Amino acid sequence: MTASTPLLEIAGLVVRYGAITALRSIDLAVGEGEVVSIVGPNGAGKTSLLSAVAGLVKPAQGTMTFAGRRLDLVALEDVVAHGIALVPEGRHIFASLSVMENLKLGATVRRDAGAVAADMDRFFGMFPILSERRRQPAGQLSGGEQQQLAIARALLSRPRLLMLDEPSLGLAPMIVDQIYALLRTIRAQGTTILLVEQNAERVFGVSDRVFVISGGTFGLSGSAAEIKNDPRFDAAYFGVGMHAAAGGR
Amino acid sequence: MALESGGSGRVAEALRRAWPLIALCAIVIAIAFAASFAPAVVQRRTTQGLINLVAVVALYTFVGNSGILSFGNVAFMAVGAYVSALLTMKPGAKSIFLPDLPAIIAAAEWPTVAGTLAGGIVAALVALLVGWPLMRLTGVSASIATFAILVVAYVVFGNWTSVTGGQNSLMGLPAYVDLWTALAWAVAAMAIAFIYQETRSALLLRASREDETAAQAAGINVVAHRLIAFVISAFLSGIAGVLLGHFLGIVRVENFYLDLTFLIVAMLIIGGRGSLTGAVAGAVVIAMLTEALRQIEIGFQVGHATIAAPAGVGDVILALIMLLIILFRPAGIAGGREITWPFRR
Amino acid sequence: MERLVQILVDAVSVGSLYALTALGIGLIFGVMRLINFAHGELITIAAYTLLALFGLPLPVMLFGAAAVAILLALVTERVAFRPLRNADPTTLLISSFAVSFFLQKLLILVVGSRLKGLDFLPVLGRQIELAGIRLQLLQIVTILVSIVLLAALTWFLRATRLGLHMRAAAEDFRMARVLGVRANRVIAVAFALSGILAAAVSCLVVVQTGVVQPRMGLQLVIIAFVGTVIGGLGSLSGAAFGGFLVGAASILLQALLPPDLRAFREAFVFIAVALILLLRPQGLIPAAGLKERV
Repeated sequence: MTASTPLLEIAGLVVRYGAITALRSIDLAVGEGEVVSIVGPNGAGKTSLLSAVAGLVKPAQGTMTFAGRRLDLVALEDVVAHGIALVPEGRHIFASLSVMENLKLGATVRRDAGAVAADMDRFFGMFPILSERRRQPAGQLSGGEQQQLAIARALLSRPRLLMLDEPSLGLAPMIVDQIYALLRTIRAQGTTILLVEQNAERVFGVSDRVFVISGGTFGLSGSAAEIKNDPRFDAAYFGVGMHAAAGGR
Repeated sequence: MALESGGSGRVAEALRRAWPLIALCAIVIAIAFAASFAPAVVQRRTTQGLINLVAVVALYTFVGNSGILSFGNVAFMAVGAYVSALLTMKPGAKSIFLPDLPAIIAAAEWPTVAGTLAGGIVAALVALLVGWPLMRLTGVSASIATFAILVVAYVVFGNWTSVTGGQNSLMGLPAYVDLWTALAWAVAAMAIAFIYQETRSALLLRASREDETAAQAAGINVVAHRLIAFVISAFLSGIAGVLLGHFLGIVRVENFYLDLTFLIVAMLIIGGRGSLTGAVAGAVVIAMLTEALRQIEIGFQVGHATIAAPAGVGDVILALIMLLIILFRPAGIAGGREITWPFRR
Repeated sequence: MERLVQILVDAVSVGSLYALTALGIGLIFGVMRLINFAHGELITIAAYTLLALFGLPLPVMLFGAAAVAILLALVTERVAFRPLRNADPTTLLISSFAVSFFLQKLLILVVGSRLKGLDFLPVLGRQIELAGIRLQLLQIVTILVSIVLLAALTWFLRATRLGLHMRAAAEDFRMARVLGVRANRVIAVAFALSGILAAAVSCLVVVQTGVVQPRMGLQLVIIAFVGTVIGGLGSLSGAAFGGFLVGAASILLQALLPPDLRAFREAFVFIAVALILLLRPQGLIPAAGLKERV
């Protein structure tokens, strides 16, 4: 695979939930090592996009290709084995299981026990709080700590593509700083990141490219610098003049 | 739809709305009428079928509107049966089987209709008492709670020897339920169920079925509406129980437990738990099936041999059909819809 | 004093039996949100397997009963429950009810509805003396078997990979699958384990009653499943605790209630269930992350 072939390629993606169309023909290409962010208000379709890639929802139309393989043909449980890890909205850590056990679950598809142990040590080094609380039920962690755990858990599968759904949701600004610093580190290590956020401000510092989604379609898109300074940003974000009926809640 | 002017328009509209009830009653009356020309044995089985119909319609009234599966309706049938038995049996019979009854009840000998209504009303009151706390539960918890009602009733009736005769059969009930009595009550039950489901309360209840949180947020008192459905359902179940008792002439607590529960639930599921048509369809289909299976169990003469299915195969087939329906057509035969106006406007 | 100890041992013994039964139900509910009414049929059919294999060496009988129970559990999962994996809880409940009745009626068709005597391990009916108190050997065995099975199950869930997957699936099925946990495997294992538990309960009950009849499993399950609800749907320790509580309470009530109320003890138990459901709908030891589907 040459450097110019995108790692993730989405074409004409349509996602419907019954009578509601959440995504109307999305096209997206993410290159290896890139950080691509998708920003938009609630209900714009951000989660649906990640859910489709992760295999949680079957698209009504369109194709998704990852490293040359067709994703729509891959079962939900096999997606992580293909190299895609999802940190879902709300984190979904297993509150009754210990921190350690949560991490172990991240390595479900890996067969190299020794390397898994080495990775875990590395993450405990990166996240000292998790190391301290490794035997405690994960439900006792604070929001920020749980987010760290969710990200570490996702990284344990050694993904080529890390997807995060609103990592800043419900977290204090200082904690969000830490999370985004973490994302910059992950990016520096070469992992491709697909990031979805309501809080648009945050993503500019870490992203290569930014897409604005509203009412199920992309509006503006471009490099982070371009979008950040684009006067049309607010309108695109809130869907004014575009699919206004589907914008917002 | 174009508005027609004058009284004929309104009459037509009322007829259109009431069509499912009219159609279903017509079908049931036709069946009963046809049976009246058949031998007595067939008439008896049709009567049994009509009683089952009342029971299924009763269950539907709650399950169809609230979306919650109830295992407890047979308990209300038992209540109705015992109440009516106690009130309508001759004092002489009561003194034989239930020597320890309180004097007022022991001496009572009410007319049959009064006894029937009493059975239904007492069942409804029990439902009101029991349902008032329980209707707060949802989903699986609610169904489990109704299961508890069934078991508690079974244990209580089975051991309250002074009032119910306990494990023994209570015999000597006036067996006044014939084809026409059962038909009359079947029509009444369908009418009550239909009128109820057209009320605002039932409509709100059905709306809350889809999304309870949203309904409550909109200010709908889901619990109260559920309770109304539960009480009406219990009333009709009570009536069904009365009819069963006075058809068989005996009341046995064992007859009002799991097997009967399964039969009624199966009828409702197979027919379709989402509509009155489904309930009736379930009763009719199972009745016909029972007839066919009975024939198979009796067997056919082939030469000198009789080929017959072993006894009990009917139950197996019924359970199998119920399973197949829930797997492949979970909305049942009626698919959640009422019987429709067949003529084009 | 001796009487008191005997009652307590009896309560613990019966409680253990119901704890095991409730665990079998709780395991399935944990991963699938399904109340498996058919669990009773697993117990009953395992007992009839013992009957069929009677005369063969003990290990063969035990293994046969377990094998049949496990097989039946897996078949019912594959045929009746897997197609309904994403259905609403009421539909699952109906399916479970239908499967239970189907198996029961089928069994009656094949073996008849009369009870049959089975003199299984009569040696366990002996009386022994512990610290000067006369107890039944079977009671001690029941308690020991329950403890061993509970310990084994706990070890399996806590120390093995598959056990971890099951616990994760029980808490958040979707997220577990996102991480790569295989849904079918986890559910199949849950059913197989419930089969083992059913077989164990079956053996113990047959020894105790000496009788095999088509309704035996159902009667056990009705009470045990109350325990699951009390203990907290979705929590395994809750199920075991609830089952234990219900079984023990039943014995204690029998001993404590005045004679004319004794027959009503099951009614009291069920009324207690309803009360607990009302006051604490999540049960006494609720599962973390248990989401009631709207």
